[in-house]
Amino acid sequence: MTAWLAILVAGGLSYAFRLAPAALSGRVQALRRLERVAAYVVPATFAAVAAAGVLGRATAGTGALAPVPPVAAVAVAVVAARRTGSSLAAVAAGLPTLWALTAATGA
Amino acid sequence: MVLLTTASPAAPGPAQLLDRRAMAGGVRAMAPWLVGFGLYGLVVGVAAGRAGVPALAGWLTAPVVYSGGAQVAAIDLLDAGAAPAVVVATALAVNCRLIVYSAAMGDRWRATPRWWRALAALVLVDPSFSVGDDRYQQAAGADDLPRAHAHYLGAALALWVTWAGAAAAGILAAGSIPDGLRLEFVIPLFLAAELQRRPPTTATRRAWMTAAAVAVVGASFPARLGLLAAVAAGTAAALAVKDRS
Repeated sequence: MTAWLAILVAGGLSYAFRLAPAALSGRVQALRRLERVAAYVVPATFAAVAAAGVLGRATAGTGALAPVPPVAAVAVAVVAARRTGSSLAAVAAGLPTLWALTAATGA
Repeated sequence: MVLLTTASPAAPGPAQLLDRRAMAGGVRAMAPWLVGFGLYGLVVGVAAGRAGVPALAGWLTAPVVYSGGAQVAAIDLLDAGAAPAVVVATALAVNCRLIVYSAAMGDRWRATPRWWRALAALVLVDPSFSVGDDRYQQAAGADDLPRAHAHYLGAALALWVTWAGAAAAGILAAGSIPDGLRLEFVIPLFLAAELQRRPPTTATRRAWMTAAAVAVVGASFPARLGLLAAVAAGTAAALAVKDRS
């Protein structure tokens, strides 16, 4: 029930975000301040969720080397993203790195 | 006669707004995005299928919340037992960029009927804004605007249907994918890569570095409030840099 409620409220308010400014076209001066904030909310959120995911994987592993596979996988993905400009290529490079290092370290 | 006098002569009708040829052009323009976002939607679906939330509720994030980052954050938080207010606030923090997209489309959509604007807004997200914005900028005067509207809608609906279908496939496949593949780790990889693909500035770097540090430090906060604190700290750090420069 909690999940349904949260998803429906988040969906309804997201729809309001999508519709209201377009409907209020011409009266959007107040949105300029929000535009400035929105430019940084997305990278902050992506970084927070990614860091939490890496930490979760690192603490789920066993042994002192448990943080190595997830941290190295993200590092490889970042390099791949910079070189190719493709997030899918980054995933394609990062995930096998995670598998290989997890197998090698026994983490 | 009354109907004729109440309709604006400049307002495009359904036949123009749903012009099949223009909508098909939008679908073609969206095609390169459909491959990448189809895979991304599949991964989000797998994450939803593996999380401790009802499968249908997890799938519903795809057509309703309709934003990979917000869905991933919401599913992750629900799985961790976060309070509903934290889930909603985090999803909205990610989705607040949609306000900017909507405001940018407002002038272009002004002459369209309400039903069309309601539908167009429902499917507004990063790629649909990008493809639509390209077409609107190429519009050859007011006469071409209805075709640009149809182009946008065709592109945006194609993405929305693909996204919802991919999420459903991911949820259905989640149980048959071995745990050892650790597909849930695709999400941190994808998000870290997305950060690299955006034009880096001192302020954006400060945003994600601060947010990542606070997310790690705040991992033990109750109700996953550490994530919200990380987003707030990262945003504030970036704004502080911007104000000084």
